[in-house]
Amino acid sequence: MLAATLRSRSLHLSSSLLSHPWKPVLSGSGHTFSSSAVESNSDRSILDLNEIEKVLTDVRADDVKVIPAKKHAEWADYMAKQKQKGAHRMTLPSVEGQEGGKWIVIDSGKVIVHALDEKARAYYNLESLWTSDASKEEPDQDLDKAFIKIRPKRNNSKRPANRDA
Amino acid sequence: MIQSQTHLNVADNSGARELMCIRIIGTSNRRYAHIGDVIIAVIKEAVPNSPLERSEVIRAVIVRTSKELKRDNGMIIRYDDNAAVVIDQEGNPKGTRIFGAIARELRQLNFTKIVSLAPEVL
Repeated sequence: MLAATLRSRSLHLSSSLLSHPWKPVLSGSGHTFSSSAVESNSDRSILDLNEIEKVLTDVRADDVKVIPAKKHAEWADYMAKQKQKGAHRMTLPSVEGQEGGKWIVIDSGKVIVHALDEKARAYYNLESLWTSDASKEEPDQDLDKAFIKIRPKRNNSKRPANRDA
Repeated sequence: MIQSQTHLNVADNSGARELMCIRIIGTSNRRYAHIGDVIIAVIKEAVPNSPLERSEVIRAVIVRTSKELKRDNGMIIRYDDNAAVVIDQEGNPKGTRIFGAIARELRQLNFTKIVSLAPEVL
């Protein structure tokens, strides 16, 4: 059902895809995420953000967030995000992870829709990675720790070479 | 050019620190793996008190190679190290954060999750 709607809409607006300003956060409400599995279609469709928002509200996706990702990478202007209750199967053009159902990524060119179940969403915590500066702090701390622990080993291996030089 | 017995760094916070490739997934008798290939690897070194332990067998995706990666437009990308990201059978990354630059080719190879976690995409 979802796939069919997405596909039909993608046909309508393949041309109106220039970048435009967009409000950062959307909120959708609802209860269950119901979609029937349709056979996959391999063509890469590019969807408009408004259309994706419409579809997501149609399927009652919980807690939808749209995160602009211009600084993140130029290949994706926005990241739409969606919480999904339970692991339901869905299949779409360029869909990834539909077997497990924990984290499904729909990659439609400019917009990437991430559908996560509650546990996976809490685990990966993508919001903090994409929205705040926390994304920069966390890896740096981890990297520092990693370097501190690796350093003695490397120094030991290099010491004799340095003495020779 | 990753083959079995190659040691790789780990580019995520899954808890592993060093891997050794023991098998390349794909066709049989495949000699070398490149960026975006899935390998079977053994954890040679792990962070203490982490869910992953030493000598555990896991799957990983190669994200950086010292061997240069050539693009059709003539661009060549070569990293300082060989690095991989630990994944599970479904392709979900074990760690929640990825460190270092990641090549854009991973997105075409259906590792969008890894690319979207990465701090920098080349």
